[in-house]
Amino acid sequence: MSSSKLNIEGIMLFEQPFARVPCENYRKVFRTSQKNIERDLGTVQAAASDLAKRGILSSSGGEDDAIAAVDGMISRVENLKRKLTDLNVSAGQPTLAVMRERLVHLSAVENMQSTRDPDFARWADTRLDRWLVDWALRHGRERTARMITHERGVERLVDIELFSDIRRIEEALKRQSCSEALAWCSENKIALRKLKEYIELARARRNLDAIAYAKKHLLSWQDTHLAQIRQATALLAFSPTTNCAPYKRLYNPERWDDLIKAFRLAIYNLNTLPTEPLLHLAMYAGLASLKLPACYDKDTKNIDCPACDASLGKLAEEVPFSHHVNSTIVCRISGKIMDEDNAPMAFPTNGEVYSKEALEEMAAKNDGYVICPRSGEKCKYTSLRRVYIS
Amino acid sequence: MDGALKELDRVEKLASNASLKGKSPSINDSLDSLLQSLREVKGRLHAGTATAETFSVLAKTVDSRKKDVDERQKEVYNSLGKVGKALDKKFLIPLPSYDPLFVSAEATGALDRTIALHFLRTGQFHTAEAFIETILQEADVNIDPKLHSHFVDLHHIMSALREQNVQPALEWANRNREFLTSRSSPLEFLLVKSQYIHLLLGSQPPDIRSAIAYARRYFPSFSSQHAHEISRLMTCVLFLSHLSASPYSEYASSDQHSELGSMFAKEFCASLGMSRQVPLRAVGDIGGGGALARIEKGRKIMRERKSEWSRTDELPIEIPLPPENRYHSIFACPVSKEQSTESNPPMMMGCGHVITKDSLQKLSKPGGRVKCPYCPVESQISAALRVHF
Repeated sequence: MSSSKLNIEGIMLFEQPFARVPCENYRKVFRTSQKNIERDLGTVQAAASDLAKRGILSSSGGEDDAIAAVDGMISRVENLKRKLTDLNVSAGQPTLAVMRERLVHLSAVENMQSTRDPDFARWADTRLDRWLVDWALRHGRERTARMITHERGVERLVDIELFSDIRRIEEALKRQSCSEALAWCSENKIALRKLKEYIELARARRNLDAIAYAKKHLLSWQDTHLAQIRQATALLAFSPTTNCAPYKRLYNPERWDDLIKAFRLAIYNLNTLPTEPLLHLAMYAGLASLKLPACYDKDTKNIDCPACDASLGKLAEEVPFSHHVNSTIVCRISGKIMDEDNAPMAFPTNGEVYSKEALEEMAAKNDGYVICPRSGEKCKYTSLRRVYIS
Repeated sequence: MDGALKELDRVEKLASNASLKGKSPSINDSLDSLLQSLREVKGRLHAGTATAETFSVLAKTVDSRKKDVDERQKEVYNSLGKVGKALDKKFLIPLPSYDPLFVSAEATGALDRTIALHFLRTGQFHTAEAFIETILQEADVNIDPKLHSHFVDLHHIMSALREQNVQPALEWANRNREFLTSRSSPLEFLLVKSQYIHLLLGSQPPDIRSAIAYARRYFPSFSSQHAHEISRLMTCVLFLSHLSASPYSEYASSDQHSELGSMFAKEFCASLGMSRQVPLRAVGDIGGGGALARIEKGRKIMRERKSEWSRTDELPIEIPLPPENRYHSIFACPVSKEQSTESNPPMMMGCGHVITKDSLQKLSKPGGRVKCPYCPVESQISAALRVHF
């Protein structure tokens, strides 16, 4: 019941995005490197086989042509090498370092034994810092997020770039511009297809003012979204003021908000981020574990109880009450839980109960008398009644 | 996490320029070797020794170097996949998706306020200032500006304490003596004691004279409450040469001083009407330490059984809490298993056992008597005392 053993499974429930986001980032770096390799080495390969086939040396001036071709290949390969090195230094290595630091951070808590471990206290401080950064970023308070990150030195443990990317794309969508979002979509095409996210289509549909645009972007999606594309193409025949329901819907500016929501969901899914800030989820569960009717009664409020706090109590209104099948009696003087060793004692007339330890201490200072801080009842320590809670 | 870390080692090695045993050469090496082949061909072209065969060999070389590069990339890709799989094993359940929480204007205001206080309380003053400025622009959130200076004081005193300087803490305790006495807090005495021990042990050789002078000056006002401890403190001087092996060894340990810090923070916050723990941390640690996992498990079982929570405003399961997070008494009647309420309060029978009023009525026997279900004693119902926890 009152164990201080760490619940690793419960802790890890929150940490999936923490571990996944840098992995996803590294995948992106990897895809970029792959794209460069395919393009540059593919060209070199084609050039080499072309040289081999053409029998270039037999033609006049062939040698100069061949030297030019080989020079071209050399500069391609040199260029590729430089690009790959730059990519590795600027993105690859830092991302791997983030992955390592986070996995080490998680493995540290796996090896801790107790919530009383001072290492755990520090770990939990950092976790709360991370949650606050996540919260601030999701609420568009990037400055606050950066300040926490800086003041607490948790740069590698938070995902400021990810969220500022999200924000940048969302703001573009708000201006009814899709190009940023489309660029993101093409970068993450493979992952998105797997997730069956159709958001790219939804986005492209907006840009129907240009048929050329539609041709370019919509054709590649016709396998999966033929019906929607047909509808979209037909839209060209209708003016924005149409009353024909399905087409009117397509012209509705509110669809931009839907689009933003769909985009956000897709990018959260991709990174296993929950739709709610981690801080909210932790607070939901934490407040529900604490909340009691006693937190809302001014006679029974406890200044130390988080759920009794005015602000947190306001938030706790949104969560269910905690559930209890066993009695726990907490001393209103010392805050300690009463049990066999520190038995509950009741004042004989008014029935207020306090712990034996606290009352003994009071009696020792008052010539054997005790005074109830709530009712003011005064009696000899020896006339208190022992209470049995089974 | 060890599995994932091991796989990460492989990714790191594969992505580096290192050549690995039994693996394809690094991409850098492959490209270098390709460049070398190309330069050789160029050299032959300049020397006029190139033949048609040179080009067909070159084409093959390019093919095989590209294959090497692709091979290495594939190895990176596979290892990356293995990191992902190792993480899959660690994270069996995804985070639940809830409807948006805390979105009403009142709730966002309350949360902003909580977070602003959190920054102040944990000494992140720059962040706090900037954050308060931001939220004031967005909405009217009421944060007492005096709190800011209070917490600056707190952190000033705390950092002095960490450096074994109790003076600022003592000054605060002096100013708040009345408050501390009302809470029967020994803080001030403990600070004086710490200062005395510091004078005694802080220098080598021990500066007994100034420690004694300090004791003479400050201990007397605590003599009524802490006479025993003071006499121990004075006697320990005799054992200074081997204090840690003496009956006074506790004074040689640094634990006492570090506990002083948390005690000071607690009293300081109490004087401002604030909780002893950092509330956001307390809530977060409970929620992130198993409560959410338990709630989700409970929900899942409920769904599988196709039963609904009997009361949607109460959790279906009990979340165990450590003693430091028990703030209120809960009385669950051992007979009816129901929690006591104002209309069904806990009643203590003559024998001292407590059950709820309803249970007491149900157990009543003719003549207004009741036999305790937990012991042989019979008593009068009318003599049962309503207890207040």
